[in-house]
Amino acid sequence: MSYLVLDTEEGVVIYSDGARSCIGIDTEFQAWLRENKDSLPNDIQAKIDAGTLTIADAD
Amino acid sequence: MSRARDFADLAGSANAGGITGRNLIINGAMKVAQRGTSATASSGYHTVDRFQLAVINMDNAAYTYVQSSVAPTGFSTSWRIDCTDEESALAADEYSTFTQAIEAQNLQQISNGSSAAKSLTLSFYVKSNKTGTWGLNLYKPDNTGRQITATYTISSADTWEYKTITFAGDTAGGGIADDNGAGMYVYWALAAGSDYTSSDSTSWSNYSNAGFLYGHNVNFFDSTANDWAVTGVQLEIGSGPATPFEHEDIGTTLAKCQRYYFKIVSTSTADAFAVGQNNTTLRADGSLGFPVTMRASPTAIETTGTATDYLINTSGNSYTCNAVPSFIRANSQTPYFRFPVASGLTTGYGAMLRAAVAGAYLAWSAEL
Repeated sequence: MSYLVLDTEEGVVIYSDGARSCIGIDTEFQAWLRENKDSLPNDIQAKIDAGTLTIADAD
Repeated sequence: MSRARDFADLAGSANAGGITGRNLIINGAMKVAQRGTSATASSGYHTVDRFQLAVINMDNAAYTYVQSSVAPTGFSTSWRIDCTDEESALAADEYSTFTQAIEAQNLQQISNGSSAAKSLTLSFYVKSNKTGTWGLNLYKPDNTGRQITATYTISSADTWEYKTITFAGDTAGGGIADDNGAGMYVYWALAAGSDYTSSDSTSWSNYSNAGFLYGHNVNFFDSTANDWAVTGVQLEIGSGPATPFEHEDIGTTLAKCQRYYFKIVSTSTADAFAVGQNNTTLRADGSLGFPVTMRASPTAIETTGTATDYLINTSGNSYTCNAVPSFIRANSQTPYFRFPVASGLTTGYGAMLRAAVAGAYLAWSAEL
């Protein structure tokens, strides 16, 4: 399972893993980002590099 | 016993937390399972509503868990986990729990963190082939994280046993915020590595990993013969004895669950999810009202993952989706979502956003 950038709506980026889609603060998406932070897809890494997506610390 | 005595007891129950509505646990009879009735090898919320499994750091364990129809007298369902691959050598950092998080604003009456802090009594039915000493934990995350642990004993293999454990009130730790976050977690331990069992936490104390599952002495994952089932879970104010499990009507329990998760499922090929409008020739957007105001704004939409499970009816024609419906936004009362197609919609026309198969679904989560 891997997420990609699906769309941008009114300035909000939507991410999808093929079955669920979400915004960047989604808890499950954030957990996936943390688990895969060293090997993220290029489009998602680009969002992080641009500062429009942040990987939050785990609770 | 006289009716007068019955009413006196009821009045006492009201003082302790209510004649009805005294169970702080939601779905304690394991009757609601919106997400599905079985799951394999993945931590998180997957079967019965409001309860989640955590399996942490284990490298070999495999398991299935289900909403089971095997239940003690007076119940029709339980939650059961079966070990399907062993984690026979439990490492220090490995553990597993079954958990429910209770919303903070539903716990103000326990006066946590004050001199008036009230005791809580946990009761439940449990059955396992594996006898021994099993651990429990109450964890309060707000302000200073605090925990208290206890154990219970499964004495007879493969037999439903009723357990009741009272936890003292916690007068320290800064209390529980009156908000929609997690106010308390109730954990049933299934396995605990030595990192989590070395510090006595049988009185309220500041959280430490070493005390998290103190006293737990069973590795549920040490044999593929193992199973563990639970139901009739009740957490109520008072120092015991526990009152009988409060059976709710299913509509009440379902509505409570839908505050945290809502799934709309088609039962035929013709069921509609929502009405909407063709925003372009390639998509129709729609919305619906959640049946219960959710705990928080959902941040995702869940689908089957199969685009052809969904279609749009508009201008007298059907258009099968070429990608699954997607999230646009949501608040706690209504989501806004998109059905995409390859071509052919007339912009501005109304649309019925539908299932193409039985079992297609849309779901939103606001779980703790």
